[in-house]
Amino acid sequence: MSQIIAVRELHKAYRRVKRRRGPLGAVRELFSPDYQTQDAVSRVSFTVSEGERVAIIGPNGAGKSTTLKMLSGVLQPTSGSAEVLGLTPSRQRRALAYGVGVVFGQRSQLWAELSARDAFLLLRRIYDQDADVFRRRLGELVERFGIANILDQPVRQLSLGQRMRCEITASLLHGPKLLFLDEPTIGLDITAKAAIRDFIREQSREAGQTVLLTSHDTRDIELVCERVIVINEGRIVVDQPVAELRRRFLSRKVITIQSATPTVTVDLPGVTRRASEAHTTILVVDTVRVRIEQVIAMALAQGGINDVTIEDPPMEEVIHEIYAAHASR
Amino acid sequence: MRFMPPTHRGEASFINVSASAFAAARLGALQALAAWPVLLGRVMFYLLILVVLAALWDKVAAEQVTPLAGMLPPEGLAIYIGVTEWVTLSVVAIERGFEDDIRNGGLEPYLLRPKSYLLQRVAPALGETMVRLVVLGMAGLAAVAMSGRPLPAPGALLALIVLGGLGCIVGMMLYVLVGLAAFWMRRVLPAMLIVQKLSFLLGGLVAPISLYPDWLFSIAKATPFGAHLYWVGVQTVTPSARLFCIGIAWQILWSMVLGALCALVWQAGLQKAVREGL
Repeated sequence: MSQIIAVRELHKAYRRVKRRRGPLGAVRELFSPDYQTQDAVSRVSFTVSEGERVAIIGPNGAGKSTTLKMLSGVLQPTSGSAEVLGLTPSRQRRALAYGVGVVFGQRSQLWAELSARDAFLLLRRIYDQDADVFRRRLGELVERFGIANILDQPVRQLSLGQRMRCEITASLLHGPKLLFLDEPTIGLDITAKAAIRDFIREQSREAGQTVLLTSHDTRDIELVCERVIVINEGRIVVDQPVAELRRRFLSRKVITIQSATPTVTVDLPGVTRRASEAHTTILVVDTVRVRIEQVIAMALAQGGINDVTIEDPPMEEVIHEIYAAHASR
Repeated sequence: MRFMPPTHRGEASFINVSASAFAAARLGALQALAAWPVLLGRVMFYLLILVVLAALWDKVAAEQVTPLAGMLPPEGLAIYIGVTEWVTLSVVAIERGFEDDIRNGGLEPYLLRPKSYLLQRVAPALGETMVRLVVLGMAGLAAVAMSGRPLPAPGALLALIVLGGLGCIVGMMLYVLVGLAAFWMRRVLPAMLIVQKLSFLLGGLVAPISLYPDWLFSIAKATPFGAHLYWVGVQTVTPSARLFCIGIAWQILWSMVLGALCALVWQAGLQKAVREGL
């Protein structure tokens, strides 16, 4: 697979004027400003291959937005290099735009009073699309996202989920090879979130599109992406497949037991109990200290067990653990 | 892999840019029509202003309140006010969109498209302005007819439409410059107030600048504010082909100068944004 993104030693430092106190300070600041430099991204390197779906995550101010901005060409790196689709974003931003689709969960690229179809027609012109190709793509996307019945409604009348489907359609109309998704499910209800995740995953698989996603919703990462890059304090802390991330950072399993009795007691080293409703027992098992089979066997020995499920802990805990491990270094 | 953009060397051709601008202007016009209650409110406001200011200038003309009244047309300045307000109320407050985009990060989605931000922002505003120009113009003509005043002759009407359209373009360029100031200023409202006051004073919003002393009149009519309002309005006071040609020359000159200035300021702002972030 060919490389879609190649980042080498990418670095961004912001230079800000140091504020001085008082009116005299403001005057001095005007004539001899005192600058301070802050590293937003510190020499990060990574590559993304064609068709990969990668999540870039990190706490607020970690440097993920700065990284994405440098990759899309709206921010110039201080040093290092970034190559996206074989182009240099900071120098070839407009040329690159033809190959990139962008969805901002918190910003609409549609017009509130007009229909999505009107916006799509304008985007056709902005991306210099051939009319036949545009019609074919629009037809395919309308069918895939099920938006035929809302295409001619004013955007302000659409629900957030419907609007987001139109936003994603808008970002895909010019047939981009790379898709940047910034919080694509923010504010959506559970059903709409699930639908959007399915759309993105299936679309990317079938069209071979590369996806770069940022989100604070760990389910977006789990259900859409196959690889995760965790950025903290401007550095890449983790870069590995989502499944491996779980294995590496968590030696725990969560066992949920439904029982006839109000509670099930498993008194073993490495097993802790979480608060839960009556007849439901949630156990967190440290698999380094105790084997899962031992825990299940002890629970079954008490009788009255109706159901047992074994799960990996939620991604949120994994991320939290990564941040905690990084902070304690 | 190296991605090849569809247009030659990644630069958009003139035809493609024009097609995009036209499509964006069309969308702006459609948006203005779709929001017809807002448009209706603007028409009502326009008519209210006309009633009040026409009454004032009718009184000045009838009672010769000031010796300057002798310099005014016998039917007063109702039509003059109608035309200058027509242009002023037609121009979209585009600076607010610029300020919002620059201050709140709304600029990024536009920068991630292959066409200029200015094109994507100005063209829809121009489309909306043209809709306002037509709707307010029709409302103004209806008001003139209902007041019993004579309607402008077809030739004069055509001159007003041309000068009015260009006056709006000059006004919009001034607003764009104000909006672009957001790259350096926290709020652009103070700059906007200055432009509005200068349009009022040097453009002659409620009274022709020909009433000023000669030296001030000479300066005012050569400013972009004069090109925005005065050269349109003067056709209702002393209509002539000569003044039409002079007016159109000033308007084209200022459109080009302000357009170039907008492009320069935009480039400087963009450089700052990609270097320092928004």
